[in-house]
Amino acid sequence: MSQDHNLFITASKDSSSPARASSFNNNTNSFNNTINNVSNHFTVPEDRSEILAWLSPLEPRIRHQNLEAGRVDKVGDWLLQTEQFRNWLGGNSRDEPQNAAMLCHGNPGAGKTYIW
Amino acid sequence: MCDRARGRDIAIACFYFDFAAGKEQTPGSMLGALLKQVVGGLDKIPEEITQEFVEQKKVIGGRSLRLDQIVKLLVVVTSLKPTFICVDAVDECAVRDRIKILISLGEIIQKSPTTRVFLTGRPHIRGEAETRLPGGVVAISVSPWKDDIIHFIRKRLEEDPSPDEMDERLESEIVKKIPETVSDM
Repeated sequence: MSQDHNLFITASKDSSSPARASSFNNNTNSFNNTINNVSNHFTVPEDRSEILAWLSPLEPRIRHQNLEAGRVDKVGDWLLQTEQFRNWLGGNSRDEPQNAAMLCHGNPGAGKTYIW
Repeated sequence: MCDRARGRDIAIACFYFDFAAGKEQTPGSMLGALLKQVVGGLDKIPEEITQEFVEQKKVIGGRSLRLDQIVKLLVVVTSLKPTFICVDAVDECAVRDRIKILISLGEIIQKSPTTRVFLTGRPHIRGEAETRLPGGVVAISVSPWKDDIIHFIRKRLEEDPSPDEMDERLESEIVKKIPETVSDM
């Protein structure tokens, strides 16, 4: 970028002749391309983690992993066998949403958090 | 549920509300966290998101997405593959925020037919959820399940740091009595 920038400064000192004006335009385009490249830089894979962090500062996956570590295998399996669960899983196939949301409700300590 | 989803081409995004988290769990940060998880599971970040990122970075100090922008992007990414959005303890979210979140989730399932929303919470939020989520809510009551309690006790007994102090009679009494006590609650 610094080289393009120097060319831009040189051209801007004297752009009176047609040749110099053409050189000035070319260098301006080059400068603009450089700016665009800087903008496009944000779409490359190295910025993936920066973009993800920008979407939200919260990390619910950490809480999930902690709960998963303390969860006993097969707890909550009963839910998967219920008709309500199967209706929810197979719902919402038409144009209008149908049974696309499920609510497991219960008092504190009932085990809701460990179902999934 | 998450165990069974492994190895399949589906997306799962989860969120846990917590009274103690207070003001950091806003509708924007919560739905943004869902978006982050779904996007994090994709091979490539969708162009719509990278474009927004570049635009918002141009503002001095940078800027976050608005709630309506997050919902729009969630509709885009949840439409790419079947997606399960799981939200725990919805009742622990402040009521004003909760309404916004339920409306947003309703918009997502309305526009993204292969998305399912799974909520947990205390019984009093059932009416709110049914009002805000289109197409009805499949509601199921959760109470301590005897088999789950027995599984849990056996697992903890296996991990007992002082097994020499346990005998067969005491172990079978624990496995029998505790589930009975919980069922009576």
